[in-house]
Amino acid sequence: MPHRDDQRVVVTGLGTVNAIAGNPGEFAEALRRGRCGIGPISLFDTSRFRTRNGAQIGHFDPRSAIPGHIPLKRMSRADRMALAAAFQALTQAGLCPVPEALRDETGVVIGGGAGGLLEAESFFQDYLERGGRGARFSRLAPVSCASTANHLTRVFRLAGPKATIMTACSSGATAIGLGRDLIRSGAARAIIAGGTESLCRMTFASFNALKAVDPAYCRPFSGNRAGLSLGEAAGILILESLPQALRRGAVILGEVLGYGVTCDSHHMTAPDTGAAGAVRSMRTALADAGLDAADVDTINAHGTGTEANDLMETRAIREVFGARAGRIPVSSTKSMHGHTLGAAGALEAVVSLLAITEGFIPPTIHCETRDPECDLDYVTEGARRAAPHVVLSNSFAFGGNNTTVIFGRYRPEGVRRG
Amino acid sequence: MDRRVVVTGMGMVTPLGVGREALWPALLRGETGVREVEGFSTAHLASHLGAEVRAFEPRDFVSLKNLRKMDRLSAMVTACARMALDDAGIRITEANRDRVGIMMGTAFGNTELKVNSARILFSEGPNRVNPIHVPNTVMNAPAGHASIETGIRGVNTTVNHLAVSAETALVYGAMEIRRGAADVVLAGGADILSTFFYEALTRFRALSPTDGGMEGAKPFDCARNGPVMGEGCGILCLEAEDPARERGAAPYAGVTGWGLGSSPAPPTGWPEDPRGFILAVERSLAMAGVAPGEIGCIQAAGNGGRNPDALEARAYEKIFGCGGARPLITSIKGATGEIFAAGGIRAAVLALCLREGVVPPTAGLTTPLCPLPFVTGEPRQRQVTHGLLSGVSFGGAYACLVMQRG
Repeated sequence: MPHRDDQRVVVTGLGTVNAIAGNPGEFAEALRRGRCGIGPISLFDTSRFRTRNGAQIGHFDPRSAIPGHIPLKRMSRADRMALAAAFQALTQAGLCPVPEALRDETGVVIGGGAGGLLEAESFFQDYLERGGRGARFSRLAPVSCASTANHLTRVFRLAGPKATIMTACSSGATAIGLGRDLIRSGAARAIIAGGTESLCRMTFASFNALKAVDPAYCRPFSGNRAGLSLGEAAGILILESLPQALRRGAVILGEVLGYGVTCDSHHMTAPDTGAAGAVRSMRTALADAGLDAADVDTINAHGTGTEANDLMETRAIREVFGARAGRIPVSSTKSMHGHTLGAAGALEAVVSLLAITEGFIPPTIHCETRDPECDLDYVTEGARRAAPHVVLSNSFAFGGNNTTVIFGRYRPEGVRRG
Repeated sequence: MDRRVVVTGMGMVTPLGVGREALWPALLRGETGVREVEGFSTAHLASHLGAEVRAFEPRDFVSLKNLRKMDRLSAMVTACARMALDDAGIRITEANRDRVGIMMGTAFGNTELKVNSARILFSEGPNRVNPIHVPNTVMNAPAGHASIETGIRGVNTTVNHLAVSAETALVYGAMEIRRGAADVVLAGGADILSTFFYEALTRFRALSPTDGGMEGAKPFDCARNGPVMGEGCGILCLEAEDPARERGAAPYAGVTGWGLGSSPAPPTGWPEDPRGFILAVERSLAMAGVAPGEIGCIQAAGNGGRNPDALEARAYEKIFGCGGARPLITSIKGATGEIFAAGGIRAAVLALCLREGVVPPTAGLTTPLCPLPFVTGEPRQRQVTHGLLSGVSFGGAYACLVMQRG
């Protein structure tokens, strides 16, 4: 049964900066062309690390989107990326500036990862070398993930709900889910929802210590895969209640149809090989959206390129979609923009909505050899022209956290079924 | 679906002891857990007080096999999750585990682990970083450990929003039950005192005595000069009312309204006016369907900070007026210090106020900053039907909840 209009939450703006694009328009083009953003990291010295490559934003210019009168001092790289993406998204939504009458009902939910750890690292170096007296503690100000949401509400002068989610690699997806719930429950009429993550040495060292990083580039679902590629990005969505979007005459880019959050309750870093948590997150999201597995047109996979994830996720998709699983296009766009951790779910939400608005299914690149256990349609030959109505996006995380979000093409009468 | 949410269990590890059996009588007696810090030396710093958790034995609650993989923060959270489930009389089975979730809040996670990782990375090199230590550095590790120990597989999220982390986790947990996405959610928060973080806060001039005077935790007092840092964990077992009553549970209280809000503030500073906080309170009252005059007591956020306590008091004057039957106001932070993700403990205390009909005094408060009905000295008997939990954070973030007796 379709939801009442006041229970429907739509997307009216998108924003992103990532390794292959500086805005959503460029992003659609880069995804279509299968552009790879993975290469040598220059943000910090990698010479002593086991691996060197990542999906770094080459020339990030926050001023390309953030007006000059807004001071960037005391903002971390992650804060600036999110603020740039938020300006893009609000501009597209026709909410830049946010009209005074809407500010009390507009909030921010951000999924975080390392927060301002990149900036804090130089502080830690000082602190460890010179002790507490010599280090400038003020540099720790943006270290918390909450810094991003605080900056966004301050810059846009919002008084709505504000929250920061930190569930590692599913943060960005869960932030969109919480944003949806806040609007549906009447706590807000619009939410700037998304995630942000910047590369930093401590994260890079952690994933290298886990031997989870492919020294070259990640090859999701490929027989010769050797791990993930870390990336950095911000992905921002403007979520709005359908009645408000219609009242404003906003261009509706798509709809958040449903989401599901589950926990493996199995192991802190390894996914449950039985895939139970991932199966339940997809099924919970489908039930929340009021859809059947048969209604899904394409899947944006978590697809990190680690053996544990790719086998588990393939198994989970087989279980949820049964005989149809092999006929549903499954893309891992991490093969292009890397695994952006706290931002991943939000960045891939942008991918899912671009697939709907631009009419294509993005490819999984670097799928070089077949893996007999990965036997789905991973769109390895390049992007496909298509008109997906329902896109399912998976995000799985350390801690056993799983989040699935389902996006739909907007139709006044409700999304197309089957 | 819009189901009513009730509190059916609670677990806590605090500077005043473990479990409500320890905390509640100590609060009523006006005791404080604030003393000289023992866990590390403060000789080189401007502050020396802290509210440390001293008598906590995680093995009483957590299996040794899982405990070995946990840091101290995760051990506290896991112990409180177990306590809350036991207190609620919920046994996790194959049949219910997918409908039981956890929403944790932490403001800073385990900062000591982060500094240790940094130490290894920058002094010994990236190849010496031990993979065994990686999983606990993520903020959602405590909720992950707690779910593994208890076997729960439902919704699982960690909120990381400074001093309203736990209140926001409670709100999210209540929302998920209300809309039917879970039947039970363990919700609350935890933060721990660590050498590094204590030093960082003193160097930020964020702890008492910010004016160089007498050090102490004095919420809403004229002589307040900054918070004292504390540590601890509190988790409520939130449950949908109908199934809870069907299984014979006797709820502590209902959670009937909540509201979130923001105001423009520097990321580590305070806003100039309390408007965002007032909006959050008004939203929670509106959702609960109660007028300001119906609120009988407030579990306030006041921690002894100069600006935040004044901001909060100003908001109460505006919302509840100056005369008539105004709510009694109390804060636990004179007793527990500022725990940051303290909302779980504070919500448990509010639920106990409603159930027991008594409001504990605010330790450390003798001369209130304004003539609001703060509870000082002795506990006050009052049959309270509706109580307010105020969540206020630097950076201009607010999360409030309204609870109802029964």
